[in-house]
Amino acid sequence: MTVDSQVIGYMVSEERFSDKAVILKEGSIGDWVYVILEGRVKIKKQTSRGLLTVDTLSEGNFLGEMAMLKQSNSTRSASAIADGPVVLGVLDSVRLLQEWEAQPARIKKLISNLIQNLEETTNKAVDMIVASKEIKLT
Amino acid sequence: MKKNKEKIPPAVKLNYSKGDLIIKAGDYGISIYEIISGKVGMFIESGGAEIQVAILGPGGLVGEMAFISGNTSPRSASARALEDCCLEVWHPLMLMNDYKQMPDVLRSIAGQALKFITRMNKVVVELSLKQENLEYGQIYAGYDPHEDKRKFYRKKVNLECVFRPVNSPKDLKLPGRIRDFSKGGLGMTVKTSDLPNYLLVSGDKIFISTYIKLDQKVSMTAKILWLKKDKTDGAISFGAVFTHMEPEDRKRLGFFLMA
Repeated sequence: MTVDSQVIGYMVSEERFSDKAVILKEGSIGDWVYVILEGRVKIKKQTSRGLLTVDTLSEGNFLGEMAMLKQSNSTRSASAIADGPVVLGVLDSVRLLQEWEAQPARIKKLISNLIQNLEETTNKAVDMIVASKEIKLT
Repeated sequence: MKKNKEKIPPAVKLNYSKGDLIIKAGDYGISIYEIISGKVGMFIESGGAEIQVAILGPGGLVGEMAFISGNTSPRSASARALEDCCLEVWHPLMLMNDYKQMPDVLRSIAGQALKFITRMNKVVVELSLKQENLEYGQIYAGYDPHEDKRKFYRKKVNLECVFRPVNSPKDLKLPGRIRDFSKGGLGMTVKTSDLPNYLLVSGDKIFISTYIKLDQKVSMTAKILWLKKDKTDGAISFGAVFTHMEPEDRKRLGFFLMA
């Protein structure tokens, strides 16, 4: 997957992270949205049995978009950790948020509902993985 | 704009009684439903069992995933009224123009969210099936009615191999064991302790390489069709279909299958 040129247009700066660096911390507050320009990022959830990787994102994927699009609050729903060296594009969150706010009510509802479902489904999946003894966490 | 509006069917409110099916997985439906009152359960059917993946209440939307995927794929889940419900039905045309005019970034974000939900739903379904202690043979039979017929063509083997999910680092080598080969795919077992950071779900693509004879390396890409707990403790077995193999590798494997 490559980074869309439209997305590049939103970039205000580039940030570099070394292997295992914590890019976003679950539970912290923040509304920056990033796009991965190079490298891979692991998405991890805190569980009673330690950190669980729920997804690995790569070039062209977004990070931190959930906090922006959620209706409730802007806490990070998962941690994002560099898996090898990573280059991120920081997106203009003011512009993004303005464009988001300007969307018609039904579109906003559609997307924020999707994000909410995503969070709930992930939490449910994580709970079930933690309860299942077969899967070892690290 | 005004012209368009005249063509778009207005939102209508519909009442459903407890137990009514609102949308059915596999159907090609295009409407989106907003829950006005009542509770709706979302279910995914797998191997004859209905697995509940979500409960939605007032304000929640049903059927939005098909819309976001561009109405090109069938309903991924069924929705059933868990109590008497009132839903407002939106025709996709009500949203289509606005959705198309949305900045690309927001649309890409929605697309990413959709992919991830689908993946997490699979995890929920697969783990639910495990928890309900269903016989895996039954589930597999549900997935694949040709199982018995195909068994016949299968060659049992016991080959060490390495594999990695397609989107994982190139230097990753997870150890596994190939248990059988057929023309179209293979069966493998993997120790769960060898999968510290990787959760396999059906639909995942993996690279596999193995030596069928001392000096004959064969590599392939395969898509996981089903997973189950293996008879041996701490291991899972899975079946996968080949999605890519170089002609040379296919030839080697062909001779091996005949031998």
